[in-house]
Amino acid sequence: MGIRERLNRITLRWLSRRLPPARSITLEQRRLFIFPTGAGFLFILTLFIMLLTAINYQNNMTYGLTFWLAMLFIVAVHYTHGNLMGLTITAVSAEPVFPGQQSGFTLRLKAGGKRSGHYTVYLEWPDAQQVVDVSVGQDTTITLYQTVAGRGWFHPPRLRIESVYPLGLLRCWSYAQLDVQALVYPKPLPASDTPLPRNDDGVGGVSDMRGLDDLAGFRAYRAGDSPRNIDWRALARGQTLQTRLYSVPSSEEHWLDWEDFDTGSVEQRLSWLCWRALRLDASGDKFGLRLPGKEIPQSSGDRHREQVLRELSLYGITGHSGEVVS
Amino acid sequence: MNTGAALPRHALWWLIGCQFYVILPHLTRVPLWVLAIYLGAALWRLQMHRERVLMPPRWLRLLLGLAAGGAVIASYQTLIGLDPMVALLLVASALKLIESVRAKDGYVLVALGFFIMTTQFLYNQELPVALYSVVGTLLLVVSLIALNQRPSASISRREPLLALRMLGLAIPMMIVLFLLFPRIAPLWSVPSKNTQATTGMSGVLRPGDVTRLGRSAEVAFRVQFEDQIPPQRELYWRGMVLNQFADGAWRTLGWSDHPATERKLDKPIAVGDSLKYRIIIEPTMSHWLYAMPYAQSPTAGVFEAWDFRLAVRKPLESTFAYDVVTWPESSLQPELSPWRRETELALPGNLNPLTREWVERQVNAVGNGPELIARVLSYFREQPFYYTLQPPKIDDDDFVDQFIFQSLRGFCEHYAYSFVVMMRMAGIPARIIGGYQGGELNTLNNTLIVRQFDAHAWAEVWLDDQGWVRVDPTAAVAPERVEQGLEEALRGQEGFLADSLLSAYRFRGVSMVNWLRLRYDAAAWQWQSFIVGFNGDEQVELLESWFGEIKVSWFVAVLLGSWAVVLAPLIWWMNRSRSSSERLPVEEQFAALCRALARRGIERAVGESAISLLVRAESELPAGDPQLITLRRLIVELYTPINSSVERPHKPQ
Repeated sequence: MGIRERLNRITLRWLSRRLPPARSITLEQRRLFIFPTGAGFLFILTLFIMLLTAINYQNNMTYGLTFWLAMLFIVAVHYTHGNLMGLTITAVSAEPVFPGQQSGFTLRLKAGGKRSGHYTVYLEWPDAQQVVDVSVGQDTTITLYQTVAGRGWFHPPRLRIESVYPLGLLRCWSYAQLDVQALVYPKPLPASDTPLPRNDDGVGGVSDMRGLDDLAGFRAYRAGDSPRNIDWRALARGQTLQTRLYSVPSSEEHWLDWEDFDTGSVEQRLSWLCWRALRLDASGDKFGLRLPGKEIPQSSGDRHREQVLRELSLYGITGHSGEVVS
Repeated sequence: MNTGAALPRHALWWLIGCQFYVILPHLTRVPLWVLAIYLGAALWRLQMHRERVLMPPRWLRLLLGLAAGGAVIASYQTLIGLDPMVALLLVASALKLIESVRAKDGYVLVALGFFIMTTQFLYNQELPVALYSVVGTLLLVVSLIALNQRPSASISRREPLLALRMLGLAIPMMIVLFLLFPRIAPLWSVPSKNTQATTGMSGVLRPGDVTRLGRSAEVAFRVQFEDQIPPQRELYWRGMVLNQFADGAWRTLGWSDHPATERKLDKPIAVGDSLKYRIIIEPTMSHWLYAMPYAQSPTAGVFEAWDFRLAVRKPLESTFAYDVVTWPESSLQPELSPWRRETELALPGNLNPLTREWVERQVNAVGNGPELIARVLSYFREQPFYYTLQPPKIDDDDFVDQFIFQSLRGFCEHYAYSFVVMMRMAGIPARIIGGYQGGELNTLNNTLIVRQFDAHAWAEVWLDDQGWVRVDPTAAVAPERVEQGLEEALRGQEGFLADSLLSAYRFRGVSMVNWLRLRYDAAAWQWQSFIVGFNGDEQVELLESWFGEIKVSWFVAVLLGSWAVVLAPLIWWMNRSRSSSERLPVEEQFAALCRALARRGIERAVGESAISLLVRAESELPAGDPQLITLRRLIVELYTPINSSVERPHKPQ
């Protein structure tokens, strides 16, 4: 291990100890670093020349302007620092995606701590950069995209938060290790079209799960209904909680079974199952999943598809009891 | 952050505006083509912004730079000196504008702007310049903020207010530094403004020179007396001593014109009561200072010259403050050396035969003592001499003959010239003194404002036992000149203030204008005595009066202590929390509502979802309950953004 690498590792360890990961991070004194920018050094050089002018010409007004600007620099330290201080970054959600795609991480920025907001704040990941203004009393939601790796949980890199506002003479920055993870599905691979076991008692009906068809009506909210099906518009108008109902077309029923495939590696098997699950979901058919030690009963709809894909994604990954952040 | 980011559009406008603002006061000094270069550069840059023209290629920019440098050298014949350096700075900043396409170029322009403003101070440290520069600083700071906004943002009222607040917060610490920073001697000698002409009285006097000054109302210097101001007729501000006459002009003798034995000053003995006052003089580009004789100055850098004048080593290029102690009763040079006597009696050739004849007649009658002086003065008084700013031009070697026997119309230097020539003919050592007489009293702060039109010339004659004695022949012709000032003496004549058409001094008949004018002048005095007069001695004196004896440890402690005192409130101010009247974010409102509901018995269980809470609230509260309605609204606000992101469709590859 080279010295440089080792230094890097020590720095990272120090950083993660100083800035431990959290779901919601508020930038405070100990998290913020500050240093003059190139423009800041140019400014200091200008002040130095002005001071020499004041001394050599014994010119009091030049002394005055030099000291005024020097003190402006000190004030700018506080303003630049204050521009990030109190900013709260909360990881709201992470999109589940397929390998190699970009997952969108939704972050909510909230102003805090001081009277004015936070201006020209840069949020950076290796793949992504965004610049935002966060004003007081108004949360700002942004989505940063980051390319994910293979199946399982993807943890985004440390987020760099940076600002040189207001004068550009100083750079204030911080790192936030957001405790957020994106689910990465197995890469879908076309599977041999072996006939799938069928079940014929498919009946049409009404479901609170969104199918392909249109809205069928409303009923009063019952505990456990998905928030996605709540009639938000009615609620916003001040009416009581209602759940939207959708009509679901009649469909066939299938089983996706780990045992259907006896060749291929674990990853290949999962990829094939994934491909089939997507096919079945697209056709609107009911299907269930059987994995070693796990079974998901037959069903259909978005929620079911997510559940199936999640099981496939986390198969064999230790300690996967965690919730998908959403 | 991307340092190669483009210069934001509105920042470009601000920078061009700022540049113009800082260049403007220099335009009176630099050649007009500098302005042309600046306007050309700004126009080119704006056309680049509109994508009508491209940035000139590197070689062309280099060529332009070299050409501009060459033009500066051609204009000034040199690159040494402040004027050509300022011109070069202005040209460089104009050309920099053309190639400013990146945000980092913007910082260079702002730095140049601050520096151009500084060079203005080297010429002038008056109050208007200070006020102008405060606005300039504000504009440049707003430009800095504009450089750092999001590209899509624009300048609103917020940015100037922010700049104002930041600059305001910097003021207390600036004052501390200004007072405490040690004023050290110049580290090296700097280029001077040697290209500027002398203003006011000069070391050479021809008939008509003082007359010209009568047309200007510009301030020459201001005086503040410690005690009573002497009466107007005693206020003779002695400056030039003109002892040598040649080629129709009176000249002052330089140090090298004196033989070695005459270079040392024989100090007069201080007798009688003294007057103490402080003078702040505008730049004169000469070495000589004005004071009432016999004067001494405790100010560092001021020395007494051989003929009892005060002088400084370098020509005065900027406003200068000096303290003076005057002993009016001291006699100047009671013993006259042979060389001195010879010099002060010398008259070239056999000029002015008529005058010589007249003088000889008088000497035969009354001798060459004080009675002769009285005779000559009564001649001036009794003949129809006329005091005027517009005397007829006399182009004759026999100037005095022409003046006292034919034209009889003249200004002070005509009378002084003739009087000194007549004295020297009679064998009385005499010389012309150039300076100012009188001054306007500003009752608001008890200062005396001496203007260019107060310029005056009078004579000094040497009498046994008395030394050099002031004689003012003008007082014999126009006593109101020394009693009440030039304006009164010239009542009904043209020419007075002809060069100062817009000077506020012209409108002093309007009482409101006059009050404002004097008020402003008092402020200008205050400013100048603080800004210009604050030097190393003053600083030590001030600090000693505050802290007693100055020790290094004390100095450091005060510096750090005052920083803490100023910085602590600043940090507190920056970090104080928002006032409760401001709108709270949704989450805080929700938490507050949960607390309110808990008090009514609907407590949110640990981990209970907001929806579930709403279900319970709906069952327990009446339908129109205001808190129920708020709860619904907040839940919609809390959930909607998340919903929209979740509903984003996922496509397989």
